[in-house]
Amino acid sequence: MEPVRSHADQETSPKITTEPPKKQKKMKKRRSWVPGLLLLVPILLFLFGFFVVPMLYILYLSFISTENLSGADAVYSLQNYITLFTDSYYLNSLWITVKISIYSVIVALLLGYPIALTMAKSSARVRAIITLLIASPLLVSIVVRNFGWYLLLLPNGTINSFLLNIGIINKPLNLLFSELGVVIGLSNAYLPFMVLAIVTSLYNIDPSLEKASAILGASPMRSFFSITLPLSLPGIISGSVLVFSLSMSAYVTPALMGGANVPVMPVVVYDQINNLLHWTFGSALSYVLLATTLLSVFIFTRVFEKSKFKEVFR
Amino acid sequence: MNTIGKLRGAIAIIGIIYILIPLVVVIPASFTSASYPSFPPEGFSFQWYTKILERPEFIEAFFNSLKFAVMAAFFAVLFGTLGALAIAKYEIPGKSAITSFLTAPLSVPQLVLGIALLIYFTPMMLAGTSTGFLIAHIIICIPYVIRLVLTGLSGFDYNLEKAGAILGANPLTVFWRITLPLIRPAIISGGLFAFLTSFDNVTVSLFMISPEMRTLPIEIFSTMQDAYNPIVASVSSVVIFISVALIVILEKIHGVGKVFGGGHH
Repeated sequence: MEPVRSHADQETSPKITTEPPKKQKKMKKRRSWVPGLLLLVPILLFLFGFFVVPMLYILYLSFISTENLSGADAVYSLQNYITLFTDSYYLNSLWITVKISIYSVIVALLLGYPIALTMAKSSARVRAIITLLIASPLLVSIVVRNFGWYLLLLPNGTINSFLLNIGIINKPLNLLFSELGVVIGLSNAYLPFMVLAIVTSLYNIDPSLEKASAILGASPMRSFFSITLPLSLPGIISGSVLVFSLSMSAYVTPALMGGANVPVMPVVVYDQINNLLHWTFGSALSYVLLATTLLSVFIFTRVFEKSKFKEVFR
Repeated sequence: MNTIGKLRGAIAIIGIIYILIPLVVVIPASFTSASYPSFPPEGFSFQWYTKILERPEFIEAFFNSLKFAVMAAFFAVLFGTLGALAIAKYEIPGKSAITSFLTAPLSVPQLVLGIALLIYFTPMMLAGTSTGFLIAHIIICIPYVIRLVLTGLSGFDYNLEKAGAILGANPLTVFWRITLPLIRPAIISGGLFAFLTSFDNVTVSLFMISPEMRTLPIEIFSTMQDAYNPIVASVSSVVIFISVALIVILEKIHGVGKVFGGGHH
C-alpha cells in the first residue's frame, strides 16, 4: 500500500508540471490508473482500519504477560507463548485439533473423490445438478446443519433408535459429544469444498490421455492410477489443505458436536477470551492457532508437491 | 471398469446423501406433535411454528439478522464493487497483491477475526454495538463480493465504455448507462451471497453481540447448548426456507457452484 500512496501524493504535487517532456508520456500512462486508485481508497482504508490494525493489535497484546493492558506497567515477554507450549493442557488441545482435522480431511477425501470423479464423467446437466446439490448446503447456517446431526446422532436419535430396534446394539452409542461427532460434523460441513477443488483439476485433464492409455492396452484401473489420479493431485492437495485449515479453526461445530468432551483449540481460545477474559493470553493462543494452520498448510503443500512431481515424471 | 464404475457411483451417491442428510431431516422434524424433536417425526402439527410467535427473542433475533445482513451486504457491495472495478479496469501497480489483500479476511479464521475485533473495539466503545457488529460483518462479506464482481468483469469489453465516451457521454453517464447494467448480475449475486454470509454467521457474531442484540443463528446456537427443543427445528426450517429461496435466485443468475469454485485459499 505504501508505494501506491506515494504515487497519489505525486499526482497532487505541483512538481508534475515541471517534468521534462521526455517523461511526459510516462507520466500520462501513470496518471491513467489514478482514478482507479480513488475507487480503491474506501475499501483499502476500511480493511486497514478494521482488519489489519486489529490483527496487529492482538499480536502486540500477545507479548504482554500482565493482564493490565494499559501502557505503563505492562510487562513485555514471551511468557504467554512459553505457558502455551509447556502446559500439557494446551499441547493436548493442539494435538486433538490436528488429529480431528486430519480425520476430517481423510473422510472428505474418501467420499469427495468418487463424487468428483462421477461429476467429471457425467453429462453437463447431471454435473450442474450435483454441483447445486453439494454447494447449496454451504449457504445454510452451520448451526442448522449441526442441529440435523443432533436429530440423527443423539442417544435417542434416528441412528441409535434404529440400531436398538433391530437389535444390533443394546445400549445407545456415544455418537455425539465425542471426537467422532466432531469429525462427522466437520467432514460434513467441508466435504463440498473438497469435491469442488478436485473436480476443477479433473476437468483440466485432457480426455485423449485416457483414450491413449486404453488404446495402448492399459486396464481402466491402470489408467486411473497412472493418469487420472496423479493429474488430479493438485485438486486433492488444494482440497485437503482447505478442509484441514477450515477444520483447524472451526469453533461452532466442535462446540456443538463435541462440547466439553473435545476441547479443541478454538473452544479453548473462546473460553479464554469470552469466559475468563484473559485477553493477552487469548491473543497468543489465537496467533498460535493462526500460525499452526498456516504452517501445516505450508508443509502439507510442500510435501505433496514433491511427491506429485515424482509421480508424474516417473 | 463396470464394477469399479458401479462402486464409484455408489460411493458418490452415499457422499451426496451424507452432505444433504443433516438438512433433509430438519424440516420433517419441525412438524412433530411431540414435545421433543425427532426424525422421523411423531404425528403432524404446526405447533412448533406457532410457538415461534410466542418467543419474542426469536422474532427480534430474526429481524436483527435481516437488518444486519441487508446493511452488511449493501456496504460490502458498495466497497467491493468499486474496488473490483479499480482492479479490473486500471493498470494499478501491485494488482495481484491488492487482490490478495482484499480477499485476505477469508484466510484468517473467523474465530481469530472475531477475537481481534472484540479486543480492538472494546476501548473504542464499539464492542456490543450495532456499528461494531456491522463493521465485522462487512469485513467477512467483502472477499466474496470482490471475487464475484471480478469474475463478472473478467469478460467485460471496455470498448463499450470507450464508445460511450466518444459519443459524448460523461464518465458518470458511461458508468450508469453502460458499465453498471453489464455487471449488474455479478453485483446482485455478490449482494445475495454477502447477505447469506452475514445472515448465517455465528463465529464472528458471537464476539459482537450483546444481551440486547442477538441474531437468529446465535439464538439457535445457544438454545441448542441449553436444551433439546423442537422449536430449534422449526426456527431452523425457517432459515432453510429463506436460504433455499435465495439459492434458487443465485443459481439462476450465477450458479452456486461457481461461487465456491476456483479453490482460492
